[in-house]
Amino acid sequence: MAQRVVKPRTNLGPGFWPVTAFIVVVSAIMAYFTLTSPWPIGLIPAGEPAPATDALFRFLGAVGAVIFNIVTIYTIYFGIVFAKAKNAGPNDIGVQIHDAPVLEFWWTAIPTILVVVLAIYSTKIWLDIQNTQGDVLTVEAISYQYGYQFRYPRLAQPVSGALHLPLNTPTTIHVTSRDVIHGFWIPEMRIKADMVPGLINTLRVTPTVAGTYPIICTEFCGVGHGAMKTTLIVQSQQDFGKWFAQQGGSQRSGGGGGGIPLASGTVDAGKMLFGQKCSACHSTGPFTQKIVGPGLGQIFNDPAHAKLVNGTDPTPQDVANIVKNGFQGDIGTMPSAQMNAISNKDIANLVAYLASLSKK
Amino acid sequence: MATLAPGVKTGPYHAVLDHIHPEPTSFIRKYIFSIDHKVIGYQYMITGGLFFLIAGLLAELIRTQLLSPSGAIVTAATYNQIYSMHGSAMVWMVIIPLVTGGFGNFVMPLQIGARDVAFPWLNLAAFWMFPVAGIILFSSFLFGAPDAGWTEYPPVSLQGPPGTSMWCVAIFLIGISSTLTGINFIVTIYKMRAPGMTLTRMPLFVWGQFGTAGLSFIATTALAGALLALFLERTFGVPFYDPKHGGSPVLWQHMFWFYSHPAVYIMILPVFGIISEVLPTFSRKPVFGYKMIAFSTVAIALLGFSVWAHHMFTSGMVPWLQLPFMIITMVIAVPTGIKIFSWMATLWGGSIHWTTPMLFATGFLITFTCGGLTGFFLAAVPLDYHEHGTYFVVAHLHYVLYGGSVMGLFAGIYYWWPKMTGRMYNEVLGYWHFWLTFIAFNGTFMPMHWLGLLGMPRRVALYDPQFQFWNVFATISSYVLAGSVLIFIYNFAMSFRNGKIAGPNPWGARTLEWMISSPPPYYNYKKIPAVLATPYDFGNPLPYIGLEAAAGAEEATPTAESHPVPTH
Repeated sequence: MAQRVVKPRTNLGPGFWPVTAFIVVVSAIMAYFTLTSPWPIGLIPAGEPAPATDALFRFLGAVGAVIFNIVTIYTIYFGIVFAKAKNAGPNDIGVQIHDAPVLEFWWTAIPTILVVVLAIYSTKIWLDIQNTQGDVLTVEAISYQYGYQFRYPRLAQPVSGALHLPLNTPTTIHVTSRDVIHGFWIPEMRIKADMVPGLINTLRVTPTVAGTYPIICTEFCGVGHGAMKTTLIVQSQQDFGKWFAQQGGSQRSGGGGGGIPLASGTVDAGKMLFGQKCSACHSTGPFTQKIVGPGLGQIFNDPAHAKLVNGTDPTPQDVANIVKNGFQGDIGTMPSAQMNAISNKDIANLVAYLASLSKK
Repeated sequence: MATLAPGVKTGPYHAVLDHIHPEPTSFIRKYIFSIDHKVIGYQYMITGGLFFLIAGLLAELIRTQLLSPSGAIVTAATYNQIYSMHGSAMVWMVIIPLVTGGFGNFVMPLQIGARDVAFPWLNLAAFWMFPVAGIILFSSFLFGAPDAGWTEYPPVSLQGPPGTSMWCVAIFLIGISSTLTGINFIVTIYKMRAPGMTLTRMPLFVWGQFGTAGLSFIATTALAGALLALFLERTFGVPFYDPKHGGSPVLWQHMFWFYSHPAVYIMILPVFGIISEVLPTFSRKPVFGYKMIAFSTVAIALLGFSVWAHHMFTSGMVPWLQLPFMIITMVIAVPTGIKIFSWMATLWGGSIHWTTPMLFATGFLITFTCGGLTGFFLAAVPLDYHEHGTYFVVAHLHYVLYGGSVMGLFAGIYYWWPKMTGRMYNEVLGYWHFWLTFIAFNGTFMPMHWLGLLGMPRRVALYDPQFQFWNVFATISSYVLAGSVLIFIYNFAMSFRNGKIAGPNPWGARTLEWMISSPPPYYNYKKIPAVLATPYDFGNPLPYIGLEAAAGAEEATPTAESHPVPTH
């Protein structure tokens, strides 16, 4: 049996250091351009939180470019210089090393440190996004197969078609769906949330550049999914005010509810409706038996909660008002009757059913 | 008769292995309902290969539809069925059965010096669920195939066509098959290794199968529960997921991803194993950092269980919960990086034979690194708010599944083809296959990164006309990719008929399966060999004693003095 021809373990290989220098130079150039370019190229940041997200994108892009260069260029280089020599016999074998603990320590330690740095930086940007100011304007976005509706405070009717937002106004958008899961993505703001039926997700944006941007559905929702999109129109505060007035917006509060006729409500119809519209978030147990919102079983006679969540007395008319207008507060957010597709007749039935529960 | 080296333990079960059952002679028992792990391995590969062609054809239909922004060939309803079936079939009917059932069955028992898996009848049962599940899945096209993507999120999947229920049944069935195989492999690897093959002397492919078996054994149950609930809700209206009746749509997402994220590692760990076999053999070097590669396999398998909600950052959950899922996901980059660097170091200082499997393994290193890096972009929650549900995700998942799993599978098929058939393939056609695959793969999926970042959502039959150029570019590349698969089929069809005879060890490899004739005889090893060291020491004599000459082999029996060298 022929003797093995073992390659001597002399140096790192011909041209190792020039190749390493090449990797350093290429990586530095790529990292520089990644960090200083307006990535992602071709998509302007049109408001908060896009700049924070883009900063993270550029940083990750620079780190990724460096790692990609190291892996790719060294792999190709090793493949070329350590290819079997033409005159080598079948017995020719490579350098017989099994490991190099120092090297392995460093290629475990450096990525670990890098992961810690990136995790901390991502967390910081995440906190920025979570703490983005909102609430100066609050809009509800409701999706259905296949379109969007938007509800503004002090507008009786929901707006179909484009979403209008005023410039430089911290805006909170609560999103939910009437039927299946849809997506709500504003690429120019780098933000999206799924619109899940029975669940309210919240995102906050502050538009800073006037213009028209797409709002795109990003969760598959049926045959019309590909065409499901609308536009976001960011306009100056004056233009927004004009548009708002055209929609019938007024300074007076409330979408009505003061005069809901409750006399005709029936318990059975209310019970059925509760199962369809309310039971995803509310139990029929005591206040503390929460699902998403509080339990409603003792809403009219709960000594521990003498007031309703909006501070009013638990009269049938006040309960009807909450169902009609929806609610936002520390305890959570409930969509309005408009959004839930609940008519005044339905409200009467629901109130009758809730009253029957409290009597037990 | 060699004696066992001092310190090599033998179990009481080794004595009974001297008795060999006779090989069945009837056609049915030999080729259809065989309990031989090798035959079952071939069956998995043939069935999975057929499904790969069907699902690949669906992929080409997807790309053809996207030639035009308004949809080039089919209606949106049909398109939704096509892409949903493409994803479902590729994951459950192609990659998972091929990496575990196919390669696991054929290679793993040979590599540990066993005569079969621990439960051959269970193996037979697990295999036959696979074609049945595949037929149920594909015949759903007759009744209206599932159309809500391979993830089938309710409530939209509750509205889906009747085939969606067949999808539930088919995936449930393949899930059972995968669980049974997992149990079988865990027991086989744990109890049936040849004497002397300690855990740290196992070939790294076996380590990959070990990790995967654990994952499919534990995670698949969550999917089974989710599927059962979806089926009950669709069929009998039991309200698990529909919020109109008190269900929770997010519940499905948690259950589904609790399986489907580990499934990503089910699909990649055995491929890591293939790469860890191919690279040292053709570099003529020990694999660099054996223990760290084995350890990182286990680390990835364990961490893989606690990252599922990173698919759900926009779905609606308690905000702070996003942070631990983000951080654990990022931590997986460390063991994965250890593997990549160890493989690069295996190339260093080698005497590299540039055969086709070696090209695919090296190509894998580059494309999988790309997919890993974009995974980091998706793990960072703020970026995921932008990228979720877009073509960026499509690009990422194809870089890890095609650039990772499928490239690794190609490496494995070229590598073990001589062992499976006893014949060599045509190396020149192999080169063509690799280079066309590598270039066309990047041409198909690279543009999807910026399509997604710039605003193209996934799962759409229509798209904004501004994205047409890169979609056409991707489609043309995908045709070239399909062409490269045709070269591969032609190559192996020709090899099967008149390829050169391979001999037992054409690559000069050192794991146990190369010590016996090609294809291996029934029952593999007449005498179970004893193992003295890891298989990758190319400078040392073979670490096996007690091997017997394979029937009909012209070469001398490999002994402790042998130095296998490449003969092709």
